[in-house]
This record gives sequence, C-alpha cells and structure tokens, in this order.
Amino acid sequence: MNPGLLKLAVVGSRSAYGRLAGIAGGVAAGVCLLLLLWGGANGLSARDDRGSWLRETGRPSVAASPTEDPTTSGPGTPVPLTTDTVLMEANPVEVFRDQLINRRDVAAFSTTTVKIPGIVTPPEPGRYYASPALQRLIASTPRDELGDRFGTFAGTIDDNALPGPDSLIVVTGATEAELRQNGRAVLVSDFTTNPYGGSTAAYNTVLSIGAIAVFFPVLLLISIVTGLGAAQRRERFATLRLIGASPQVVSRIAAVETAVPSLIGALLGVVLAIALRPAAAQIPVNDTRMFTADLVTGWAAAAAIVALVVSASALVAAHRTARAGIGPLGVTRAVHEKTPTKWRIVPLLAGLAAMTSAIAITCTPHLRSPWLEMPLLIGGFALILVGIVVVGPWLTRLVSGMGLRQARSAAGVIAASRIQRTPVATFRSVSGLVIAVFVVSVFAGASSIIESTEAPPARPGLLQPTSLHATVGAGHTPAQVSSAARQARGLPGIRSATIGYGPAALSTRDASPEIYLRAADAPALGFQDIPATEIVTVDTSFLYSWTTQPRALTPAPAANLDEMVPVVIVLGTDGTPEAIDRARTLLNSSGVTAHPAATSRDTGLQSSTRLIQGLAVLAYLGMFVAVAIAGLSLAVSTAAAILDRKRVLGLMRLMGMPVSVLRRIITLEAAVPLLSVLLLSVGLGFLVAWLMVTGINDSYRMTWPAPDYFTALGLSLLLAIGAVTATFSLIRGTTAMTTTRFE
Amino acid sequence: MNNSLTLLGLLSREPSYGYDLKHSYDRYFGAGKALAFGQVYSTLARMVRDELIRALGEETGGGPDRKKYEITVAGQNRVREWLFTPDVPSESLQSELFAKTVVALLLDDDADRLLDVQRGEHMARMRELTRLKKDADLLRVLMCDHGLFHIEADLRWIDLTSARLTQLKKELQSA
Amino acid sequence: MNANDTVAPILSARGLHHSFGQTEALRGIDLDVHAGEVLAVMGPSGSGKSTLLHCLAGVLVPDGGSVTYRPAGRAPVETSALKEPKRARLRLTDFGFVFQFGQLLPELTAADNVSIPLLLAGTRRPEALRRSRELLERLGLEGLGAKLPGELSGGQAQRVAVARALVTSPAVLFADEPTGSLDSLASENVLTLMLELVREAGTTVVIITHDARTAAYADREVIVRDGAVGASYRVSA
Repeated sequence: MNPGLLKLAVVGSRSAYGRLAGIAGGVAAGVCLLLLLWGGANGLSARDDRGSWLRETGRPSVAASPTEDPTTSGPGTPVPLTTDTVLMEANPVEVFRDQLINRRDVAAFSTTTVKIPGIVTPPEPGRYYASPALQRLIASTPRDELGDRFGTFAGTIDDNALPGPDSLIVVTGATEAELRQNGRAVLVSDFTTNPYGGSTAAYNTVLSIGAIAVFFPVLLLISIVTGLGAAQRRERFATLRLIGASPQVVSRIAAVETAVPSLIGALLGVVLAIALRPAAAQIPVNDTRMFTADLVTGWAAAAAIVALVVSASALVAAHRTARAGIGPLGVTRAVHEKTPTKWRIVPLLAGLAAMTSAIAITCTPHLRSPWLEMPLLIGGFALILVGIVVVGPWLTRLVSGMGLRQARSAAGVIAASRIQRTPVATFRSVSGLVIAVFVVSVFAGASSIIESTEAPPARPGLLQPTSLHATVGAGHTPAQVSSAARQARGLPGIRSATIGYGPAALSTRDASPEIYLRAADAPALGFQDIPATEIVTVDTSFLYSWTTQPRALTPAPAANLDEMVPVVIVLGTDGTPEAIDRARTLLNSSGVTAHPAATSRDTGLQSSTRLIQGLAVLAYLGMFVAVAIAGLSLAVSTAAAILDRKRVLGLMRLMGMPVSVLRRIITLEAAVPLLSVLLLSVGLGFLVAWLMVTGINDSYRMTWPAPDYFTALGLSLLLAIGAVTATFSLIRGTTAMTTTRFE
Repeated sequence: MNNSLTLLGLLSREPSYGYDLKHSYDRYFGAGKALAFGQVYSTLARMVRDELIRALGEETGGGPDRKKYEITVAGQNRVREWLFTPDVPSESLQSELFAKTVVALLLDDDADRLLDVQRGEHMARMRELTRLKKDADLLRVLMCDHGLFHIEADLRWIDLTSARLTQLKKELQSA
Repeated sequence: MNANDTVAPILSARGLHHSFGQTEALRGIDLDVHAGEVLAVMGPSGSGKSTLLHCLAGVLVPDGGSVTYRPAGRAPVETSALKEPKRARLRLTDFGFVFQFGQLLPELTAADNVSIPLLLAGTRRPEALRRSRELLERLGLEGLGAKLPGELSGGQAQRVAVARALVTSPAVLFADEPTGSLDSLASENVLTLMLELVREAGTTVVIITHDARTAAYADREVIVRDGAVGASYRVSA
C-alpha cells in the first residue's frame, strides 16, 4: 500500500486526530480494565491456592474398633502420633466480632518432619503463630476478648500461606492429650494444595462465566470506540474510491487506520494497568484485599490481550468498511434493514436450554460429569448474552408496533414509526445498557445467596441471638462447670450463665434427646411460657442454629438434676460484640467444653460461597464499567440518530414543530427499546443466576438481591436519562433552521 | 429585425457618415450578411424625410456618402420608444431583442430595464398560455406547451444576458 | 388594477436586511403579499430568495426591517418581533411549507406524514388520519396512504408534501422550489393540483422558483437580485 495514501487516510484532517484520540483512549481504558480484571481473577485463584492448606482434613486420629453390630461404634483406639504427622484440630467457629478466624490447634513432637505452611516449627503448647492482620487485631483488643484464646505470641505466619493481607489465621500449640479429648482432631502428614477439593470444575465454571460477563461490556466499549466517526470516514473513503482505490485497498486502509490507534491505546492500557495495580489491590474482595503481586498477569498475558484487541479491532474495521459498500460516489445505498423475525429468539432459547440441561444433568447422579456440565453452562451463558442482543430488535419492533397503533401525539407517531422501521439500529443504542443490566442481575442474584443467611430474629422458644452456647464434654464434674459459669457471671456484659443437664454428655450414646433446666433459669434463655414445675425440659434441637420453629418447655416434675451431668452451658450477654467475644474467650479457654462456643449467628460466617462472593465484587466493578460504557454508547448512538435525520428534523422545526417535541421523540426512541428489553434482562438475569447457583451446589438458596442491586439499576436508568438529555443541546444546534438551506 | 430603427439607434450615439454607419452596423449585427450601401442610403433618405435625422453642413459636391447625419429630437424619442416597447414573443424576436440590447448598451441606456420589460412581456404570455392549458383538450395543451417552451428559451437567454450585461457593455465599448 | 390593492396586504416586509456572516443576503427589501394571490419569487441562485421566504414565514428574524402578518379576523402581528416559540406556533397553525425534497419522515407512512401537523396542533389521531386520507385522495393519491415515502415516486412524494402543508388549512403556503426535483410532467401535475386546492380555499401562496414555467402559474412575480427586489409584474387583467 502506498504510504502516502495511508498517511492521507489516517490523518486526513484535524477532526481525524480527535477520532484517533477517541479510539486510543477507549482502547486504553478497555485494555487496562481487561488486564486488571484478568489479574483479579488470577489473584482470586492464587489466593485460593495459598489458602488451600486450610482445607486439609487429615486422617482420623481414632481407629474404629471392630464390633459385631455395625450400627454402633466402639470407643475406638487412638492412632499414635509419629514424627511424620501432626495432630490437628480446626475450630470452625472461632469468631471475633463478625469475622471468622481460621484457627488450627496443633500438637506435634519437637522432632516432627511435618512442615506447617507459613511457619518454621509447630508452636509449643500455649504459644501461637498468627497472620499479621490477626496479630494487629490481638494487640489492639483487650486480652479477655481475644488474646486469651490463643496464649503467647510466637511469631507471624508467612505471606505465602495467607490468601490475602487481611486474612485472619492462627496456629496454636496444644498438648496431645488436650486435642485427643473430644476425638475430633485429625492426623496430618501432608497439607493439600488443591484449593477447591472436589468442586474445582464448578468453580472454574463460575470463573469462566464471570469472565465472560465482565469482559463482554469491555469488548463492547472497544467495538464502540473503533466505530467512532464512521460517517465522516465513509466520505473520505468515497473520495479515495473516486480517485481510483479499489475496495480491497480501502478495506485495508480502514484496518490499518484503526489498528494504529488501537495499538497505541492498548500499550497505554498495559502501562495504565501496571500503574493502577496497587490501587486496585486495595479493593476488598471477600473481606480481604489482594497482594499487589497477585494482580500481576505476566507479559505473555499482556501481549496476548494487546495482540487480540488490535487484530480484532482491525478486522472489524475492515469488515465494516467492506460491508458498507462504499463506492466512488459514497455509500451506494442506505442499507435497508431487514425486518427482524421471530427466529431471533432461537439463540436465547438455545442458551436457556443449554443451561437448563446442565442443571438437569447435575440432578441426575449417574450422568454427572464436569466435562459435560461445564461447557453447557459456559456456552449457555454466552449464548444467552448473544441471544439478548439478537432478540432485542424483534421485541423492540413488537412493542413499537403496539405503540404505533396506540400513539396519539406527533412525537409518539414519529418515534414509534422510526423504531418500527429500524428496530436493529434503534436497539443497538441501548444494547449496551440492556446487557449491563443482565450481567448485574446475574451477579446480584448469585450473590444474594450470601444475603440469605441473615441473623435470626430474637423469638421466645429459640436460642437468643445474643447468647453463646457450648456443649460440655464428657467427664467434667458439675463443680467444674459451675465454676466456669460463676466466672462468666462476673464478666462485664454477661447477664446470665445457664447450665443444662442430662443423663450423659450430648456426644455420648446415652445422651437424652432432651435438656433439663431449672425453671428459674428459663427466662434467661428467652422462654416466656414456663410450666409451673421446678424442672423443665426442652428438645436438644433448641441449640441448633438452623431451628426456626420455637421449641416449647415441657414440665419434668420427676427429674432430679443432682443425678444428672451438665451437658450444655449457655451464656446470655447484653448483645455487645465485646461481651460476646469475652464470653467466647472464657468458654473456649475454660476446658470444659466439647465444642467451641457458638452463637446462632456464627453459621452465616461459615458460608462456603466464597468464590461467588469474590466474583460478585468483581462483577459490581465490571458492572460499573459496563453501565458507564453503555451510557456512553447510548449517548453516541442517540447523537448519531439525530445527525442522521438532521435535514428532515430541521425541516420539521421549520414547519413549526417545537423543540420539545423533538426532545420527546429522542427520549421515546431510547426509552421504548430500553424498557421493552430491560424487564426481560432482569428476569433472565435472575433465572440464569438461579440456574448457575443450583448448578454449582443445590443447597444454595436465592433471595431478594442486595440494595446495591437496586442502586445499580437506578444508576443505569439515571445514566440513560443523562445520556439522552446530553444530546438535547445537539438537537437545538443541528436542527437549527439555517442548516436546511439548499445553497 | 428592424434595420432602420437599428441604424437610427446607432446614429443616435454621435453624428456620422453613412459609410461609417454601415460599417458599425456590419460590425455588430452584420455577421454573415452585410448591409448593402444602397439599402443604407435609401433608409437614411427615408428617415430624413420623416425628420428623424437631418444632414449636417451641406458640403459641396458631396454625394450621399459624403454627408454627415445627425439624429433629431424626434428621432431620439423614436429610438427610446422602440427600445422599451417589448415585442410580442415570437421566433423572430431574438435578433430584434439582441439588436435592442446592443443598441441600448452602445447608447449607455438602461439595458437592464429593457430586458426586464421584455421579461415581463414573456412572463405575461406564459401565464396566458398556462391559463389556456387549464381545462383544455390535450391537443391544445400540447400547442400551449410548445409556445411555453419556446418562450422559456427566450427567457433563459434574457436571464443569462442580464447576468452578463456588465461584461458585455465593457466589451462593446472597448471595441 | 386589482382589488387587492385597496385591502391591506396579508404579509408585508419593510426594509428587510439580513446577513450570514460577511455575506449580505437581503439588502433592504420591501414586499407586499396580498391575500389570496399566488406570488412567484424569482431570481438567480444566491440572490437571497430563500432568505426572503424564511423572513416572511417567521423562520428567520431579519437583522433589520420588519415583517407584518395580517390574519383575517385577527389583529396584525409583527412576526419579526416574536420569540421563536410563538413564531413556531404561528408557522404551525397559519402557514404551510413545501420544499424541494427530503421533507417527509422516511419511516412514516404517507398518511402519518400528512397527519403530523394536525397532531402537533392537538387534533386527535383518528380525526387527523381521516382528514389526511381525504386530502391525499383529492391530490390523486387514493390508496397510497399506507405507503412509505421511499415507495412513492418523486411526484407522488411531492404531492404528499403538499397535502401535509395544506392539511391545517393554512392562510399562507410557502413553497421553496416545490418542483425543483421533478420532471416537466410531474411538476405540472403537482402544481396544477396544488393550485387548484389553494385557489378553492383562497390560500395565499408564495412560490420560490427559478423556473419560468412554474412561475407562470402565479398571478404575479417579483425578481430578487443581489438581495433586492428587482421588478414586479402583474397579470394584465
């Protein structure tokens, strides 16, 4: 290609520089976001990799002794601790305030060969290693609320064993005897490096779907900016055709002139991403920020993205130019829009079918295979995204057809007719926003499962949310337990300490299904309807956090507490976090408990929806970008819609049509396609979220989305209004009557 | 084209000899068919008789070609009347209108007005023909159209000429 | 002498001056348009005739001079002193416009295009469509109401434009080169039908044209040269 010709094409006029700057800027923003999001996704997985050792479940420390009756198990024989194992127990509800601390109690020989990630040697009994974030927390909190739970500080856990800088992890030392007491400790010889256990495929699916959902709007942005100034460009190309350039040459010029600013923009984007990494790492995902190093994508990835973006934009530009059919006298013919038919619904239905069948397979155990479900889920999701864009024009046409028959005002008739004839072009202006809303709905739906574990209300007959309970281990005397209770009563903020009794400890075979209480203690547990006997009983399920139906007290006049053993201790607090933490610290270090103390709120913190929550944060970020881009694209398209009809709208104004009618036309032309597909978008978004969530784990439930979602939805609509009103000034200017002069 | 009025117009610029008059005429209008001397002299004689012009200083022994003529006031009025009386649009009109325009320019008279007056006459005729077309049978419509298009051709010449008057005047006067 | 001379003209312009940047488009034009007459404004390209029409119709406010509109049965208005919303309203209700080309909304059917001015003026849509179809029929376009402008011939589209201009029964119809893009037969057709309707309703018409055959349909013509009125001729009665 003649370099002179190319120069003419690329920098033909001063306005060309504006367009080139627009393309470069847009691509830079897009590439920067792509790299940061990619880094974020990598960071999430690197983080899970580093934290994988926390998922180690070990081998039982007790071997079941063979008995004749397989339904009962004997006391079991302890498996001895050796130098190539450590004895470990995890506390699932080590909670401080509303944060879950990952606690591992370990006992090991000093000669042990087992390497616990992040620490040099296993801590001696009474000493602990903590992550830096936890150590800061311990140092800044009264010891009776937190520090007393762990003992003496021995050192910090190294970063390479921490998911993120804010992770709260503690490894405490204990004696072998202490850990063997309740039989829950396990023997560990090697820590796992598989972060997801058996559900790797499911998590990869979520990650892929998240990636598609977040990248789609970014790709949309790149596609919009590379199409900037298409009209002026067509004129220039027509001139080139007139002076003898072949269509192929013109296509090639279009490709090169888009590729050059795209390349500049892409490189700029890489630099920008590097510069913004430390700032991006500050965004908390799953309660912890990222290590800056986690966001590094590597040069190969950056190069791949740059190459992909540049070649894609060049190809698209060449294709668009070729398809526009630019002859020597300009665009040969205004491309007549084909009327969209009902077949446009096919990709959407196919996508839904793919996702539904993936779920069906999940529910059919003998068919289950990640190799079948994963492509179905991911492909289905991609098809739905494309399907929405494809079906939009058809729906828009359907709605505008109804609107046209009902229209009463001039603005209504003009707008509805325009949409009716050019549904594809009209829908294109809002497609970005519609997709953004869909993506947001998917993630809002998916992350609403986090919201579903709300604190249960305080109701009589249920364990009070402000109380803390712990079961008592076998072999503890009533005196020991009473002393712990007495000690608790002396602490500030603790209102009551109630002991429940039974014939045997709850973990043993002789345990009764009921807990015996003194009737006098019942009000402290929140009971209101108390039988008039000295002793009352309540079902053990009263203690379970998933119990939602109030349990009633039953009179037990014949019972004698002196013949029973304490099975549970319940501390009532004033509900302040300090009091709860104080109570927890006391109970856990009292030595009488069989399980760590828990409140009914704790379970919410143990949710295993980590990845979805993490992705939800990324998704809200992506959504913000998507919505912003969509608003931009709407403004650009609305402006183009006015410029296209400059002459005829100018003549209409000349005939006496007020500017306000023109404004109404433009608003309607944006509102009709937006609203007709928006509801579909929202509905589909939640449906897809439900499909995804059930596809991954059918125990998840969805509820109303977080208020963030409605904020995002409102923001999208505001942005749409803003984008449309921004073009109003354009209406006045471009349709000024002098522009209709023929001279 | 009215030769005698054209000659009278040329004479109204300045007194001149018959011989010079013939050559002026030939230069402006005689392309292809020069005026015969006899025709010039007979026309001049007729105009003397009609008192539109008069011979200056009866020079002795002078034949008709040695006589210098001058336009009279009556002659001048006659020229002006001719110039500003529009002709009925017809096929033979063009040369007459052409002559009038040139003469008007040579006389430094209002050629613009002359063209406008003619234009008005043309338009009036066109309106008349357009009116005739209304409710007429097709044959008559075709006849009217024939007239309309011819008049329109004249009108276009008038428009073009009026646009070129300044330039034309310059050229004629420098010649 | 015409009887119109004794009545005050429906539109009168006095001393109109207007410039676009350095270019002086109008330099002191005086013009009267009489009620019920068909006036042709002729002149070479760039003579300022479109600007004159825009000033007369209240599209443009002249830099100097005034335009007075005297509607029948209402007080005279100096349109050149009105604000744009009022002028827009006046254009909508009292004036009609026909242009050379490209004035129909391409996405609207012929009937919808014609009904727009009525809808803008507040007429209900069924009534507006009924009147539109009626007018289209009178212009020889029966059965074409549902067609899009792109499906009509140039002459048909121009007749739709005429229908739209006349649907509000305007007092003055402004036509700017209404037959500029048509062949002789089509323009004759459009002009004949348009003038028939106009004369029947007593509408005043100002036609801008450089085409003598179009101007021949007028009662009177004025010539604009270099932003000034050159000559005015009247049909000899």
